[in-house]
Amino acid sequence: MADLSHAAAKSVTDRLTATLRRVALSEYLVLWLSVIYFLALAPFTPGLVSPENLVNLLVALLPLFLVALGQTFVLITGGIDLSVTSTIALSSVVGASIVNGNNGWLAGQWFAAPVAVLAMLALGAAVGALNGLAITRLRMPPFIVTLTGMMFFSGLAIWFTQSKNIGGLPVAFTRLGGNGWLAGAIALATGAFAHLMLTRSLFGRWLFATGHNARTAYLSGVPVRGVTLAAYVICGFCAALAAVLYTGQAETGSPVLGQRVLLDVIGATIIGGTSLFGGKGKVLWTLCGVLFLKLVDNSLNLLNLSIFTITMVKGGVILFAALLDATRHRLAGSRP
Amino acid sequence: MNAPCALEFSGLAKSFSGVRVLTEVSLTVPAGHTLGLVGENGAGKSTLMNLVAGNLRPDAGEMRLNGVPHAPASSAAAAHAGVAFIHQELNLFPNLSIAENIFLTAFPRLGGTPVIDRSRVHARTAALLTEVGLALAPDTPVERLSTGQCQLVEIAKALSQDARLIILDEPTTSLGAHETATLFALMARLKERGIAMIYISHVLADVLRLCDDLVVLRDGAVVGQGSCNEFTHERLVSLMVGRSLTQFFPERKNRPAVEPVLEVCNLSEPNIVHDISFTLRRGEILGVAGLMGAGRSELARILFGLDPYAAGKIIMEGESLGRITPKQLIGRGLAFLTENRRAEGLCLEASIADNITLVALRDQTRTPFRLLDFNRWREAIATMRRAVRLTARADDAQPVRTLSGGNQQKVVLAKWLLAKPRVLILDEPTRGVDVGAKFELYQLIFELADRGAGILLISSEIEELLGLCDRILVMSRGELRADLPRAEFDREKILQAALPVEEGNA
Amino acid sequence: MKTSWWLERGLRQAPLVLFILILAIFGALAPKFIGVANLVNIGVQAAPAGIVAIGMTFVLLTAGVDLSVGAIMFVGAAVAGKMALNGAPLWLALTAMVGVGAGFGVVNALFITRLRVAAFIVTLALLFVGRGFALWLTQTRAMNLPDAFLQLGSARMAGMPLPLVLFGLVALLAQGVLGRTPFGRQVLAVGHNRESASQAGINTTYVLGAVYLLSGVCAALGGILALGQLGAVTPKFGENYEFKAIAAAVLGGTSLFGGRGAVLPGTVLGALLIQSVENGLVLLNADPYLYPLITSGIIFSAVLLDSVRSFLLERACRRKIRMEAAD
Repeated sequence: MADLSHAAAKSVTDRLTATLRRVALSEYLVLWLSVIYFLALAPFTPGLVSPENLVNLLVALLPLFLVALGQTFVLITGGIDLSVTSTIALSSVVGASIVNGNNGWLAGQWFAAPVAVLAMLALGAAVGALNGLAITRLRMPPFIVTLTGMMFFSGLAIWFTQSKNIGGLPVAFTRLGGNGWLAGAIALATGAFAHLMLTRSLFGRWLFATGHNARTAYLSGVPVRGVTLAAYVICGFCAALAAVLYTGQAETGSPVLGQRVLLDVIGATIIGGTSLFGGKGKVLWTLCGVLFLKLVDNSLNLLNLSIFTITMVKGGVILFAALLDATRHRLAGSRP
Repeated sequence: MNAPCALEFSGLAKSFSGVRVLTEVSLTVPAGHTLGLVGENGAGKSTLMNLVAGNLRPDAGEMRLNGVPHAPASSAAAAHAGVAFIHQELNLFPNLSIAENIFLTAFPRLGGTPVIDRSRVHARTAALLTEVGLALAPDTPVERLSTGQCQLVEIAKALSQDARLIILDEPTTSLGAHETATLFALMARLKERGIAMIYISHVLADVLRLCDDLVVLRDGAVVGQGSCNEFTHERLVSLMVGRSLTQFFPERKNRPAVEPVLEVCNLSEPNIVHDISFTLRRGEILGVAGLMGAGRSELARILFGLDPYAAGKIIMEGESLGRITPKQLIGRGLAFLTENRRAEGLCLEASIADNITLVALRDQTRTPFRLLDFNRWREAIATMRRAVRLTARADDAQPVRTLSGGNQQKVVLAKWLLAKPRVLILDEPTRGVDVGAKFELYQLIFELADRGAGILLISSEIEELLGLCDRILVMSRGELRADLPRAEFDREKILQAALPVEEGNA
Repeated sequence: MKTSWWLERGLRQAPLVLFILILAIFGALAPKFIGVANLVNIGVQAAPAGIVAIGMTFVLLTAGVDLSVGAIMFVGAAVAGKMALNGAPLWLALTAMVGVGAGFGVVNALFITRLRVAAFIVTLALLFVGRGFALWLTQTRAMNLPDAFLQLGSARMAGMPLPLVLFGLVALLAQGVLGRTPFGRQVLAVGHNRESASQAGINTTYVLGAVYLLSGVCAALGGILALGQLGAVTPKFGENYEFKAIAAAVLGGTSLFGGRGAVLPGTVLGALLIQSVENGLVLLNADPYLYPLITSGIIFSAVLLDSVRSFLLERACRRKIRMEAAD
């Protein structure tokens, strides 16, 4: 009798373990977590489900998504880009100084806004190219290259503006970030393009091969250096695109813009499932990671929790996701 | 003399994923004796020694050290029990000094403090270094030492741990004549101190001169055993080669054409290869035999544009190749299956599909945007899976890591075949592959040659070369020693040419 | 042979060469710069980040990283500040601060060695947790501390400023541990290759755990000195110290890939180098906005030199098949 109930209990536990394992091993685990989190908090959080709040949430996550998107490309190659925030700041002030109505280089011209945007994007790509060249040609470690890059370019942005914000931006320019629909369209288009690139293009496949095993990739005829360089250029470009949105949302060009999002960017990307060790990453994963992080941010805000609680919870969330990932690897390793 | 034997094996057996690598090995090494262990590459010598040194655990049988059962759980435990294993790949830390490497886990300290007693470390290291005949300061960083000097440091470390049994695995492969002499003199001194040694080497003359007893391994079993003076050079070679019972080779139909696809003229690179010349013809399987460290893989790496060469010419299909990258060489129809499948042949975590299409990815795309044509992509993968007879049980999306060695190697081969190469360099294509998969790989190699590809086959298994090749080159110490057409194939001739010539004996 | 030896020597001593170069340049431009008073001043200013960097050096030597040091400083300072404002004696507040550092170090160590989460992520997460916690403690307001803290910063010991003495003591002790104890040597072995270190019989879990503990304690000590200079806990306290510390260590020749580096002169020199550049620029009345540009440029060149050196070393160590030149 005791044996029987023991066996029944065992089979229940077995089934439970199997289900847990399936959920834990699902690649969209974070999405499920977000849904559960959302449903669990909705009854207690005033305004969480209100349409305005949901729109706010979506608009707020767009620029972060763009930065994290670029970071995903770099992480897939097994590298890291710490300079994204300074790229955001630098493009923001350069764009603003071209377009602003007070003393901008092209103040009042009808083509000021498009030129400013193009200049910002080109600048982002150039910063990425510098990082990439130092890493591929000078064989320097990505961590330190982009760390000094972070110090240098943010210093450059501050020096360039003498630490002042640049206001007076024309609507034609701020609309890109300020208008939710437009910003959404930009982010969606970029995300879709990146998704296509990662999953269906020759370059995407090369990117993963480089991250999986650069040596094997090189021996198989993959232009490893070119691919790595391109990943950093894309990362810089995406950061600049995010700068366009951030600047538009803030309606000022600021040399400290995005200074605080570095850890959010890396945290969101890793939570989504992209590996720090390369070879793994998806646009949708990153989107889920950003969604989760922003959801936590947003809900804690609505709960009237202070900035410090939010920061702490964010840290806990990152640690939790990392632990989950480590456990997941162990589970996957023990799979029959 | 009935002193307890330093080391006794009885009935040791070991298999790796179903493949037997050791069967019923029994032997004894008395204290103060040196046992010579000989056998071809893959005969099971290294596995046997890894059992003693605690890196592997036996499936059956018993080991006794000085009369006590010896079942080390780790290499550290084996070292503690008095076994020192001096590998071909040395295990020193180049960023530390000689003295630090020797005492890394057993530093003498000042009184009860955690501070290293530097003067004692220095004095004891100096004494050990004198003992092994190394005239270097104890605080010399190990990265400054030559391979031979590192070996002596390893022996000094063994002495510091009071080792009773020292295993030397191919210690002379990368030593010069002078360093070899130093090592042998040291071995004689160790012997006088009653230390038992197991000496593994391909240089049979050295083995016969240095050792008291001999054991010959073939296919994981002892095929000859006895006192050293019962053996001659010739008898050892014939015992090592033996008769292979299980291996057989598919029938070869076509003969190679005369048209050359790859010509190598007087290729040299200081310290690596010297004056190598040969011609590979269309449809020919050209074998390259040699011992470990003979420079075969290094030659392959030079041919594939991975390492530089100082002099000579490489001509492919009539065109001379200068300094050229792997990517360009692949474009010209060259393929290179490296000996290091896991680190250089595969992306282990990536899927079977991604690995198979890695080289010829461009052919699976459609212009204008070079997007993957999934139909063509899937078709290519299916074709290749059939061509290499990859196990049907594995899913295309499964990571390559989960496959067996043989299937992994088929994936690497499929990857290259998809690019339709005209010259293939295969470096140890059947290493770590079970017998059934081996036969299938042999068939694939024949099919390739029949379709007109030139194949350069590097292998440490002489049987394999004899069964597959139209011609065999033999390398030793970076030089070409023999070029044998099929009519002159002879195991002993190949082995003799492969053994390094030491001054005085041949 | 001879030239390559000199080249290697020069590259190995790159930080020292750079340091002398900087002293010479600023000395020529502003003679006050190389006066004793100013040099002592540089040492005092470099002390907080220098001590944090010493702890970081141990972590980097094992091929890890500790991004939580800045947050540890902040939490420690907040706890100590609270205690002091509530009337606790100075020594108790400071002991608590060191305790906070040790506690964070232990948490890092547990996650990294026992749960095997990547050091980068664990310490990144603890950065968030720590900063959030300290912000909560201080209610995101600047907290002015009793004068005892400021006196700590300006106190003298044997004629030298206390921060400088402490910096020197920590550096000597750390170099002693690194160079003269079995633990220190094992740190280098683990950093070179964890697998073979474990095979050689080293308890790698213990070694790895201990370096994160050390880093936490050093962060707290650095925090104490920073408090002594500021006299207040601001919401930005300790921010970016993780990057400053990594920069100082790397500048001093410590490799991010583990196994190579030293506290003395290495990391200490790196910290002094960064501080002298800033100090020199102040004396020259340079545009303060140029500081980060110049500092990052210098760090970049030092790392570039290091990567050139390892490339040359790697090429020199290529395996040889034939012995062409007799020995």
